[in-house]
Amino acid sequence: MAVTRRSFLGGTATAGASALAGVAGAARQAIAQEVDDAGGESVDVSLVINGVTYERRLDTRTSLLDLLREELDLTGTKVGCNHGQCGACTVLMNGTRINSCLTLAAMADGARITTIEGVASAEGELHPMQAAFLEHDGFQCGYCTPGQIVSAIGCVKEGHATSEAEIREYMSGNLCRCGAYKGITEAIMEAREATHSSEVGGQS
Amino acid sequence: MKPFRYQAPSSVDAAVEAVEPMGVPGQGGAFLAGGTTLIDLMKLSVATPPSVTDIKNLSLDGIEEADGEVRVGARVTMAEAASHPIFLDRAPVLSDALWKAASPQLRNVATLGGNILQRTRCPYFRDNVSPCNKRDPGSGCAAIGGINRLLAVLGTSESCIATYAGDFANALILFDTTVETHRAAEGPRQIELEDLHVLPEDHPERETVLADDELITGYRFRLPDWARRSVYVKARDRESYAFALASAAVALDLDGETIREARIGLGGVATVPWRAREAEDFLKGKTVSEETGLQAGRIAFESAQGYEHNAFKIPLGRQVVAKAIFDAARKDVSGSAGQSEGAN
Amino acid sequence: MADDRMTFEATPTMDIETQDKVESAERAAENGNVGAALSRVDGPLKVTGQARYAADFAVPNPLYAHLVISTVGKGRITAIKDEAARKVKGVRAIYSHANKLDSGSAKFFAAGGQAQQSWEPFAEPDVRFYGETVGLVVAETILAAREAAAALSFDYETSDPAAVFGADGVERQDMPDKTITKGDFTSAFEAAPVKIASDYETAPNVHNAMELFATTAHWVGDKLTVYVPSQWVKGFQIGLAEELGIDEANIEIVCPFVGGGFGGKGSLFTWVSLIAAASRELGRPVKLYVTREQGFTTASFRAETRQRVRLGAGEDGRFQALEHAGEELTSRADNYFVNGQEATVRMYQADAIRTELATIHADRQTPGFMRAPAETPYFFGLESAVDEIARELSMDPVELRIKNDTMVDPVDGVPYTSRSLKECFRQGGEAFGWSNYTPEIGSMNEDEWLIGWGVATSTYPTQMSPCTVRIHLDVTGEARLQVASHDLGTGAYTVLTQAVAEELGIEPSQVRVELGDSRLPPGTIAGGSITTASNVSAIMIACERIRNRLGIEKGSDTDLAAAFDRFGQAGIEEYAEWTPPGAKKDAPKTLYNGKVKIVGGPEEDYTAFAFGAIFSEVRINKYTREIRVPRMTGAFAAGRIMNAKTAKSQYLGGMVWGIGHALHEVAEVDPRTGAYMNDNISEYLVPVNADVPNMDAIIVPEVDDKVNPAGVKGIGEIGIVGVAASIANAVHHATGKRLRRIPIRLDDLVDV
Repeated sequence: MAVTRRSFLGGTATAGASALAGVAGAARQAIAQEVDDAGGESVDVSLVINGVTYERRLDTRTSLLDLLREELDLTGTKVGCNHGQCGACTVLMNGTRINSCLTLAAMADGARITTIEGVASAEGELHPMQAAFLEHDGFQCGYCTPGQIVSAIGCVKEGHATSEAEIREYMSGNLCRCGAYKGITEAIMEAREATHSSEVGGQS
Repeated sequence: MKPFRYQAPSSVDAAVEAVEPMGVPGQGGAFLAGGTTLIDLMKLSVATPPSVTDIKNLSLDGIEEADGEVRVGARVTMAEAASHPIFLDRAPVLSDALWKAASPQLRNVATLGGNILQRTRCPYFRDNVSPCNKRDPGSGCAAIGGINRLLAVLGTSESCIATYAGDFANALILFDTTVETHRAAEGPRQIELEDLHVLPEDHPERETVLADDELITGYRFRLPDWARRSVYVKARDRESYAFALASAAVALDLDGETIREARIGLGGVATVPWRAREAEDFLKGKTVSEETGLQAGRIAFESAQGYEHNAFKIPLGRQVVAKAIFDAARKDVSGSAGQSEGAN
Repeated sequence: MADDRMTFEATPTMDIETQDKVESAERAAENGNVGAALSRVDGPLKVTGQARYAADFAVPNPLYAHLVISTVGKGRITAIKDEAARKVKGVRAIYSHANKLDSGSAKFFAAGGQAQQSWEPFAEPDVRFYGETVGLVVAETILAAREAAAALSFDYETSDPAAVFGADGVERQDMPDKTITKGDFTSAFEAAPVKIASDYETAPNVHNAMELFATTAHWVGDKLTVYVPSQWVKGFQIGLAEELGIDEANIEIVCPFVGGGFGGKGSLFTWVSLIAAASRELGRPVKLYVTREQGFTTASFRAETRQRVRLGAGEDGRFQALEHAGEELTSRADNYFVNGQEATVRMYQADAIRTELATIHADRQTPGFMRAPAETPYFFGLESAVDEIARELSMDPVELRIKNDTMVDPVDGVPYTSRSLKECFRQGGEAFGWSNYTPEIGSMNEDEWLIGWGVATSTYPTQMSPCTVRIHLDVTGEARLQVASHDLGTGAYTVLTQAVAEELGIEPSQVRVELGDSRLPPGTIAGGSITTASNVSAIMIACERIRNRLGIEKGSDTDLAAAFDRFGQAGIEEYAEWTPPGAKKDAPKTLYNGKVKIVGGPEEDYTAFAFGAIFSEVRINKYTREIRVPRMTGAFAAGRIMNAKTAKSQYLGGMVWGIGHALHEVAEVDPRTGAYMNDNISEYLVPVNADVPNMDAIIVPEVDDKVNPAGVKGIGEIGIVGVAASIANAVHHATGKRLRRIPIRLDDLVDV
């Protein structure tokens, strides 16, 4: 199973790519090619992120988090530690919450990814979890918030939001240095029923 | 992180062919499952594999029981196993050890095959700078005279006191589990879990008996009926998402108040997953009591050696063993079906 | 209300409901002194991922930078081993002292400048502490930058660092000019019939805001835009201009959202000028993420302290003598200190008072502000000592604190502008159920849980700084506030919105607030809990001018369209400067020069503090000795509260920090190298959700129309103060073990 060397067409997202990704992408594409020529350490990936298909040839080292933030300008997903210790980079992969910093983009090839940008409806209506975080002041600085909200949706969908105690345990992978835990827990209590029955960003 | 080749073969045979062993521990290609240890260490430049073989396309899934034997695929995630009825109801210690480890996000991707091989959190191993016999054989051990609060008191050597950081193995070891593996030339083999990890002694760079191209494909074990009476007690600095300062996995076969058989695994205190067999022997035929539990704890830690900051783990470990014995003895095993893991 | 303020006479009972406080509370309620619980106006951006923090701003075709930090604790670089790093594909530049970038250093902030330390990075081959920035790699991709940085190493000539208290080679600097005295402490202490003398220790702490430090520099011609997390954009602008040798008008610091500050982003980081200079040299934008590990040493931290408290009391519990002495660690070059004794000796009446301060210069980075910098460590000492003497006196620890309450500054007799400590204890105690407290050690234990209750006083000086604002109001009723202040999650966007809306008689939804940009009129540094008081005071001036020009009254039902019609223009803009009481009249002008003048706390004419009472319950497992805090109540009186919702969050957040301070947080220094061995947020523990089961913050109404025009005291820091002592006191109640060093961990209890 050698690394595929088939020529790669495209290099921009099929839809929805930001202008930035286009500009910076060209330079990165050249580097990727340089590295590829030297050692074959690149990989083709195709992901559906918030309903949009992206196809890229990437340096194999590219984490899903790097891809989102540095290539696709989806900066709602935050970097807090880069080592799976804080949960700020939480996204849903095929509906399951994961740390995008410890996931290579290559590992997610073919996966469906939901980031905070894809949680509200296409019309911009807040997801019940987002609305509940707002109402219960489940954040202060807001930096861990995208990860908290995505994680909270994952927590509910996993069936781990049956009590306050269970929510606290199953939300402990998301650090909040501002200490907004009380509001976070209250928000999840309020939004859990609506979250069970709701779709995320227009998808289940 | 250094560049590496990435491959995701679709069969076990292809994977073990592809992985590129180099004959030197830590130098060869690496298998990648959940990535929660490997990618972390690659980011720290502690692991620098020239190639990474992702086993995501291998069908090493599922938890099944047939003829009284449970078989678990190596790619089953910690989260999946923690909530599986066989783990949850038939051997709660296995479920407990899983959901009390790491975070939900990590458990959603970390696999049981990889989890057993979780690397130490010793800061001198991870900093990629300090002398460390595990990372850089022969360079010395900075931990012995350093900040060693989290390090081991059992199974240590003059070369290494790095704690085995995992939880699940300390519980799985109770059930005389067999590890199934696969190598390129030799094909499949079976290893007793208790023999999988090796003590650091003079070669802490060797952590297991696995060959470089050897892939864990699954586990097999039998659960006695009394495995329902089992717990995993994990003492830690915060309520969740922290490594064990000391942990005890205990399963008890009780006849009234009398212990017919006890199994004890220890975590957070030893260099490898640790089975406390002397303490188990001691408990045979004893009546459950505070003194019995503490005595079992004392026996379990008889050979322990404390260092500057971690000597507290010896009394702590004894008490954790005692608590685990009580908790197991007091456990209501009448109708455990349908309970869920975690923070009930 | 000067006439309300009287010297408090000790009462022998627990009756703390004094008439003045009841009146204050009633007036507070009548005046609407607790503002509406408006949800955060910036909340929708934050819950949808659209709020852009420093590392989220897109720049065209960026290069990526990565820091390289020293791996020795003291020494000098003798060789740069960059061969492997240069071979990494995509590397564009490698900088160190050997090819120093064209940048310098602004003055150290504690010496009136803006920089986090007094020396310039890369100026010399010397290494002053473990983890100091010694190299900078710039590459085409983030991956190449990381790889090359990992491949870059240095040879050092090293010597043993003296990095911790007690190490050979640390230097003690006594600061007798900081000593506060009243009466003759020595004889008063000797004469006191009941006394305690105890030593306390607090650990080094690291801010660990969730946001990684990050900096992006983008030049367009000679104009530089820098995206960097900052609690002081104006200071960063001025300091950076000095470091780069360019006109400050050419620099814009952009930071509309800060992913947690806690003091860690208050002074200009050393790497900002490096990134800007590298970008200037390479002709492309440069983006840097400082890793979590690097953030432990390349920014500031809360230094460890050692304290001695001697407290003497009469048999009746009245304090007769209080001494608080402290030693604080600092860097070799900079004399940073927090001197919390200035606050601790003002908490209770005492006949004789004495303080002492010394710094211990060690081979570590320069410390800096961290949430309630002075009060957090020193109230652990004071409030533990008060609990110790309560035990000696066999007095209820709440009653003892009430008995020693005072309405004038005990040091110099200057009256407090307001002080509602008794009411905090009353309301907090009632909510917590303090009447069920039984003082005997272990008397509240249940099953396998050792249970203890503890209390402590919390306080924070009410501080203010000059502030300028610009407000624009148009005929449609839309208003815009512009000020280079900051919202660190404190709620500034929201409360300033409310203030403008209230002053102009419009809806909050009609107000837009712009913060966090150095081009805006200079506002406040986000430190010292000064933001709300200072900004609202300036807003009140600007709005009053707008009202006057429009000829409208505050609070009246105004027809704005008609007023503008009479005014003859469609919009009106006012700029205002506010000078706090005690500051020089021209103080706002100095804001433009990157100077901060903070006044408040103990001043010549007034003493201004906010107060609170913390009640904690701890549970310690009999076997595992794990220490948990299942319950905590804080009650705080801090003048006018602009927004009940965001205020509660501030208090609760501080209390969560208090749990971390008490039980979790310590940067573990290896004395052999000076390295932090837990430089990550897996092993540098901060509380997780499961650590905070049941916590409540009570807003105790208080009217203070003397402290500033807004009647506002700061609330961002008070929540943490006293929490560690309340927990330590509860641990003592549960176990009989008096632990005088934090964090308290199960190691300390395993032999109980």
